[in-house]
Amino acid sequence: MAYLLQLGALTDELVAAVAAIPDTQGQRLDRCRESTLRSLRHHSFLRTNQFDVDDHLSGYEEHFRVLGRDGLADAFRKSLDALKPHHNRFTPDVLHFILELADQPVQKTSLTD
Amino acid sequence: MPSDERSEKQAAAQQAVDILHEISTILNCHLDRRTLSICISMIENGVNPEALATAVKELRNEAQEVQFEAAGAGASTTRRR
Repeated sequence: MAYLLQLGALTDELVAAVAAIPDTQGQRLDRCRESTLRSLRHHSFLRTNQFDVDDHLSGYEEHFRVLGRDGLADAFRKSLDALKPHHNRFTPDVLHFILELADQPVQKTSLTD
Repeated sequence: MPSDERSEKQAAAQQAVDILHEISTILNCHLDRRTLSICISMIENGVNPEALATAVKELRNEAQEVQFEAAGAGASTTRRR
């Protein structure tokens, strides 16, 4: 029960931060909150494989270098190395989440970002 | 001291979020620091990362619809004038 309450509170925060539905559209906000909560609780995704995550991260670094974006590759490697002392059992999951949302970084990311 | 220990842990957690935010920026994830912090808390509460990423994408679509409708309503109000 406590888990559901906490998940519900975090889902509310997520909906507010990402969807930014105005308070005047209460029904829409409720519908969005419910469907988000449902999709987080009932899904058919597998658990994170940390070796796959490592492979993907190395793949991105290599891709940056192959396309001559060494500055970006160095910054990426530096961040990954800096993360090592903070590694805990959730780090592969968080990195998996970030990888899922990656949006053509090789073409679109600029070092000035 | 316990409060010192707590503040040290908080500082370390903040640093980890900063680094993860840097990584997400390099990978062009369009995540701000607040959203990333919420998502990290959700993952630490046992939410599946892939399900969470799918939910974030759906919420972004919803946000686009809201913006589109707001822009449409604004345009029709201007036309009526």
